[in-house]
Amino acid sequence: MTVLILTCEEDVTADMVVVHLNATGIPVVRVDPADLTGGVALSGEYVHGRFRGHLSAGGRLVSIGGLRSVWVRRPGTPAGRAAQPSAWLTEEAAQALYGMLRGSDARWMNHPDAARRARHKPWQLRLAQRCGLPVPATLITTFPRAAREFSERYPDLVVKPVSGAHPQDPPRAVPTSRVAPDTDFSAVAFGPTLFQRRISKRADIRLTVVGDRMLAARKAAAADADPDEVDVRFAAPGAPWRPTDVPSCIAPGVRAYLREAELAYGAFDFVEDADGTWWFLECNQSGQFGFVEVETGQPIARTIAEWLARPVPAEPSHVNGANRTAC
Amino acid sequence: MQPFALNYARPAVELEAAIPYVYDAGQQLNVLHDGRVAASDFALLREVGTTTSTAGSKTHFDD
Repeated sequence: MTVLILTCEEDVTADMVVVHLNATGIPVVRVDPADLTGGVALSGEYVHGRFRGHLSAGGRLVSIGGLRSVWVRRPGTPAGRAAQPSAWLTEEAAQALYGMLRGSDARWMNHPDAARRARHKPWQLRLAQRCGLPVPATLITTFPRAAREFSERYPDLVVKPVSGAHPQDPPRAVPTSRVAPDTDFSAVAFGPTLFQRRISKRADIRLTVVGDRMLAARKAAAADADPDEVDVRFAAPGAPWRPTDVPSCIAPGVRAYLREAELAYGAFDFVEDADGTWWFLECNQSGQFGFVEVETGQPIARTIAEWLARPVPAEPSHVNGANRTAC
Repeated sequence: MQPFALNYARPAVELEAAIPYVYDAGQQLNVLHDGRVAASDFALLREVGTTTSTAGSKTHFDD
């Protein structure tokens, strides 16, 4: 049975997993939905109470019934590279492709429904609280007055996008940034704004979870680090990422989070404070892992390959291997 | 009328290093000009920065 990888061609991080799948002889078909209907083709028929579907890409043909797993990595917009792309064609292509795949018995990393829900940071924060993970005091608001009052309670604040997305017109980045105490909050009225108490950090933590396996990496903050450099993605390189253990008080909360979120993969960002407490910032359901493996040597790609290579469960399952009651 | 968070925006930085590999549809992998698999060369991946947590931000925000 075949592993289907939905991602773009330039996704060299996905290559790291393909290398391991190839080494173990697991068939792989790699598809970028953007290439529908150019280099990618599909067909499915529902006849006599049965479904038979096929996907073709790069000269490979795979039966949808022959998929053991689907890895949704960095897929392009369906039909995005069609000769005459349009919003209508994209919707048609998305419905056809994902609609057929949803009907398969393959295991998902991660299922589109779970992935869509898991992208919402406000939902992440609440789930983390419910799972007992430490969450910094946070406010999401369009009320300037609420922002002002929050800043009086928590004078050392950061601001970050609610969605995590970066504006593209023109292309800009919005790093997590420190908010000065005398800031004018009136512009909060023009868009939902996420404020969070800044944690004075001893280290950044990236915890990559694949199935039930946790691989944690720690990047120590310099003792003389600029407190305004909050966002590790945009800070000077500094100390390297190093493997670390997951505290026993954190691991159960992480497991509960992934179980509740119905995620087979999650990349958690924490910051570690001076007491050693790991504060939950977010969980990226398709977070990058290549840079961690490159620096730490942790076998993340191999672990993902092993998860994807597992056989399809005997009973049909639809959300990341979780059993569902058939109607 | 600019949302508050955009007061902290900065111009997006493009990757500086040229990407020294191309996708090989036959192998379903990116390969270097000498035929080696790019993903097996960790020193190269570190240098070009294409596996970092901001690499996919233009189209994907699950970093």
